[in-house]
Amino acid sequence: MQLILLLTQQMCLYLVIVYLLSKTPLFKLFAETATRLPHKVYIYFIFSGFCVMATYFGEQTNDAIANTRAMGAVLGGLLGGPVTGFLVGLTGGLHRYSMGGFTDIACAISTTLEGLSAGMVGLYLRKIDKSELVYTPMLVFLVTFSAEMMQMGVILAVAKPYSDSLDLVKQIALPMLLVNSVGAALFMSMVRDQKTMFDKLSSAFSTKALKIAERSVGILSRGFDQESSTKVAQIIIEETQVGAVAITDREKLLAFIGIGDDHHIPGTPISSQITQDAIDQNCVMFADGVETRYACSISSHCRLGSSLVIPLRCESEVIGTIKLYEPKNKLFLNINRTLGEGIARLMSNQILFGRYEQQQNLLTQAELKLLQAQVNPHFLFNALNTVAAIIGRDPIMARQLIQHLAQFLRINLKRTTGLVTLADELEHIDAYLMIEKARFFDKLNVDIKIPPALNQYKLPAFTLQPLIENAVKHGTSHLFETGEISVSGAIEEDLLILEVTDNAGLYPDNQDDDNSGLGMSIVHKRIQNLFGNEYGVDIACERDRFTKIIIKLPLITASQPDTLS
Amino acid sequence: MITCLIIDDEPFARDALCDQLAQHTELAVIGQCSNAIEAMQLITKLKPQLIFVDIQMPKITGLEMVAMLDPDTMPRVVFVTAYDEYAIKAFENYAFDYLLKPVDEKRLQTTIHRVKKDLAPRSLELILPKQLEHVPCYCGNRLKVINVDEVEFAFSDLSGIHVTTCLEQVHTHLTLKVLEEKTHLVRCHKQYLVAPNAISEILVQENGAEVLTHSGKRVPVSRRFLKPLKQLFGFH
Repeated sequence: MQLILLLTQQMCLYLVIVYLLSKTPLFKLFAETATRLPHKVYIYFIFSGFCVMATYFGEQTNDAIANTRAMGAVLGGLLGGPVTGFLVGLTGGLHRYSMGGFTDIACAISTTLEGLSAGMVGLYLRKIDKSELVYTPMLVFLVTFSAEMMQMGVILAVAKPYSDSLDLVKQIALPMLLVNSVGAALFMSMVRDQKTMFDKLSSAFSTKALKIAERSVGILSRGFDQESSTKVAQIIIEETQVGAVAITDREKLLAFIGIGDDHHIPGTPISSQITQDAIDQNCVMFADGVETRYACSISSHCRLGSSLVIPLRCESEVIGTIKLYEPKNKLFLNINRTLGEGIARLMSNQILFGRYEQQQNLLTQAELKLLQAQVNPHFLFNALNTVAAIIGRDPIMARQLIQHLAQFLRINLKRTTGLVTLADELEHIDAYLMIEKARFFDKLNVDIKIPPALNQYKLPAFTLQPLIENAVKHGTSHLFETGEISVSGAIEEDLLILEVTDNAGLYPDNQDDDNSGLGMSIVHKRIQNLFGNEYGVDIACERDRFTKIIIKLPLITASQPDTLS
Repeated sequence: MITCLIIDDEPFARDALCDQLAQHTELAVIGQCSNAIEAMQLITKLKPQLIFVDIQMPKITGLEMVAMLDPDTMPRVVFVTAYDEYAIKAFENYAFDYLLKPVDEKRLQTTIHRVKKDLAPRSLELILPKQLEHVPCYCGNRLKVINVDEVEFAFSDLSGIHVTTCLEQVHTHLTLKVLEEKTHLVRCHKQYLVAPNAISEILVQENGAEVLTHSGKRVPVSRRFLKPLKQLFGFH
């Protein structure tokens, strides 16, 4: 009984050491099964140390040593695998052998076997893909218990004389079996607790970060202003539970939510020095309220006691800050500090993306303007020439042509770059074709085969018209024979498919003069910008036979709100 | 009376110019055509003294068409254009007469006045393309534009000028002289031109030689032209 107490004492000493270790980063290494060499070496040294210590602190009993060496060997084996376990056992065993006594060989052999067999158990668990089981205290208890039983068996078999060893085993078997098994199990349960806590913490952190990212996506890319900032601040405060969140640009407060929002009014200029510093120095500023004092620059009654200011960057330039606050009675959590910096990076990226997108849009709009401007002079000249040519012979037709021309120009001028219905686009095309047909007289036939049911669907303005103009300008006008252009439309699955086919088959001839290829590429780029890469313009051409332009669009009906324009 | 031809692919534009020219009794419009091939035929047939040529026409532009005309029988040319900035610049640089569409009456008068004073065709070489890219051809009633690179050889006989590619033999209004000057074809016989890149073999015979083309056709080579032809390939 006394031996049990003594061994328990020893075990407690271990557990204290383990507890202390658990406060260091080294402990994290226990929390995962060792797969790489440096990790295994670490395990080897720690547990060999335990084995040696256990032998030293062991109780001299009948010229033998009652001890807790088995704990070290078994744990080393379970966490490190068979080789590490074997080496831990061997080291502990050799050390024990050097201490002498009639059980020296028996103990050396048995400790080595304990390490090896625990290692085999660990390996087996990994093989059947249940390596998590290594961390269950019950399993560790059973493994240690069996290992100790084996040790007793080895002592009986190897140590001479047999009668002495039988006496010894009778005395030490129960205490050693119990204490070693319980100790190993307790050790593992500590490792497990630590591991669970760590996992929980990091998963809580990533969940928060991901949730903020998910909820705020796209908000800032629409623009960095009071409205979008307020939305983002609301999301951050809900997810992080800090005292207050503020977002500023370089001059003024854009959003403030949380404690103190009675006197931190969005729209007012930046008043705190710490924010100004963060902007000027382009670095994160932290006032924890203890080492660095923090006091609200507006009201002395403000309950906020600590503040983290992180600059928002767009390319390397600071465009604003994001601020997290905690009230005086609450500590500023480290996790929120890290999270804050992550959020700032996320927001910076979104703002950058927004700007990029905006520029991209401006570019397409500018290109579109260019397209309109480019097309018109030539077309206008031709139209006027046609009118001039027929005005003497057929004044009525000339008047009609002028009306069509006016109609075409009116639609052209009125158009925005947003979405229009297919019916609108067809009206534009009709006005255009009336003039071209007059110009080419019997040398141009156009067949528009679009079912009326499709008229309600929407598409970007200037999608079809430039392509039809291309078909005339770069296609049929280069033919000796009659030009045939057909325009057709259909719904295929969830796509609106429009096709413009000419019988010239000259693509991509003549595309280099006066940038006319631009027309097609702008139409394509705009569709992709607006709707995504699965849509756009495809070209099929068989030389001298036909050119077919295929436009793929999403199905957008007139009743849907036009969010894109 | 000055005979003239209007060449423009837009029917109303032709009609309009025709109406305008009708005011000038010193001119007689003897024909209209809507493309370069028709024009070449009519020019050969009617031999007008003056042609009004639109620059923008299908397949063969007005400039290219004029470059195809035999300089010996070249009529006086007035270019008509709506907006070809490049051509207009060339005309102005070399002080060539041209008309802008829609044609201004006063400008037309000036032009006709100038033409009456000097009907001799002016050398247009400065503004015309030096090398032809296309050969306008016809085969019965079918008009066809052949890429000059496809031509294996061309020859003349009693029925006119023929162009042979590896696929077909068609008729053209270009003279052998124009083809020789403005394409890569070289003379190998009084009545034959051959494309050097189409020659597969030269078979030397008693009276000159014969060329075997890649598509297996035989082209006669007269003694006079054998030497330069051989030299072209580095034989001496």
